Amino acid sequence: MSIGQETVLEANEARVVYNEDSDNPVEAVRSISLDLRKGEVLALVGPSGCGKTTLFNAIAGLIPLQGGRVSVGGIEVEKASGHVGYMLQKDLLLPWRSVIDNVTLGLEVRGKPKGEAKKIAQELIERYGLGGFEHSKPSGLSGGMRQRVALMRTLAFEPEVILLDEPFSALDFQTRILLQSDVKRIIREEGKSVILITHDIGEAISMANRIVVLTNRPATVKTVHEVPWGDEVTDPVAVRDRPEYQEMFSTIWQELELTNGQQGKTMKGAA
Amino acid sequence: MAMATDIGEAKKQTAAPPAPKRRPRNSTGRLRIMAYQVAVLIAIVAVWQIGLWTGTLKPYVYGTPWGVMQAFAEQIANGTLLRHFWVTGQEVIIGFVIGCSLGSLCGLMLWLSPLWAKILHPYMIALNGVPKIALAPLIIVWFGLGMESKIAIAAIITFIVAFLQAYKGTQEVDQDLIRLMKSLGATQWQTFRKIVMPGSVPWIVSALRLNVGFALIGAVVGEYISAEEGLGYMVYYAGQLYDLDSVWVGIFSLMFMALILEAVVARIEKMLDMEK
Repeated sequence: MSIGQETVLEANEARVVYNEDSDNPVEAVRSISLDLRKGEVLALVGPSGCGKTTLFNAIAGLIPLQGGRVSVGGIEVEKASGHVGYMLQKDLLLPWRSVIDNVTLGLEVRGKPKGEAKKIAQELIERYGLGGFEHSKPSGLSGGMRQRVALMRTLAFEPEVILLDEPFSALDFQTRILLQSDVKRIIREEGKSVILITHDIGEAISMANRIVVLTNRPATVKTVHEVPWGDEVTDPVAVRDRPEYQEMFSTIWQELELTNGQQGKTMKGAA
Repeated sequence: MAMATDIGEAKKQTAAPPAPKRRPRNSTGRLRIMAYQVAVLIAIVAVWQIGLWTGTLKPYVYGTPWGVMQAFAEQIANGTLLRHFWVTGQEVIIGFVIGCSLGSLCGLMLWLSPLWAKILHPYMIALNGVPKIALAPLIIVWFGLGMESKIAIAAIITFIVAFLQAYKGTQEVDQDLIRLMKSLGATQWQTFRKIVMPGSVPWIVSALRLNVGFALIGAVVGEYISAEEGLGYMVYYAGQLYDLDSVWVGIFSLMFMALILEAVVARIEKMLDMEK
């Protein structure tokens, strides 16, 4: 599956302000414009607390914009309607449901008949290596397996865009690398368009096609980088051996350093 | 969220959801524990009896083990103990079932209306803080002297506890889960059915446990105030007559009833856990 020219998500000068009408409004996102092409993985990296998650919530339609617009599949986002699939650092599996019943959650919400939903879930579970665990409770699974179930729950209802909000940051190093390559492979195979939020520059470079570096809060787009190997190298471990990887890593690192430095200065200035 | 913590702070009687119990290692271990449990009982009776023999304990103040057994046999034979037991048992069970089911239901439903939750907030704190037994005289006036008033006391007290616990349970549901459901385009009712209700089950179950005690207190105090039958009446009446052996018979009967009810609740808890 290669990246198409078709744009599935577009943000145009999106702006989010909390408590706009109160005495101290908090501007979380100043102005973000970006586009996501079909089948593409776009990574957002930025200093912590810069408003990445706020942007996610706006894209999912969970919070309103105070300016600009976001559209998914050509339709402007006005409220949450299941057009995006969410995956967070917490797997958010329901402990009282078995693996398969967790995977069908999104389908149930959409009113899919139970039998059909189970069939879809069963297929996903088998295809991605959790066969035999469909009737286990999440408490019996490892962290990596749980995140995989969460990914399947997201894939099952076929959202147009998948939002990954630091999905691997709670895992140990080895599991993280393994899951990164699994997830990358799965989303490629399924032809999904993905926005990935991460703190981990290495993760961004090895998983994404393009990397958007954000400034401090209120967030704006600072730079955009395109990975030079396109879709040729898909293994996140192999990517790390490329000479361009190191170069890109240090460029982004410096850009982030710079924003952090500025933050330090403004904080001193304020004090 | 802020509100949930407020209630949490004001709450004294809420219990955290019970931690999973450890299974006894093997049956010999269980037998040994049972043997020790019997030994503890024998030890208590022995200390009591020795106290009486040495004259440290006066029989007219503490009763005697032998007297208790005699009173027990007598009251079993003439049927009075069973009658009192049955009356109190019905009051407790009916009150418990009404209070817990309605209370849990209302507590859960309150999640659907944040506005009403806000409106009711000070009332919930007040109800939580008041010693619920203080309501008993009022309820006797409203419901009369018969069994109905004791059922009502047990029901109202358990209602309050179940209501507050169930509502607290809904507030403890992970907000990210609710966000996830919203992002899926779920209606409020779907989120309620699929996330909030099952997520609150541990809190509702812990309310059941607390309420075994509260239902018993409600019924017995009701009987103290005014009644013609029931274990509470029996204990109170015997106490007035300094018939301490009968008082003990009543107390032991109440303990026995509490053990039975606890076992039933533990069973329900297990069933709900299996469903999980």
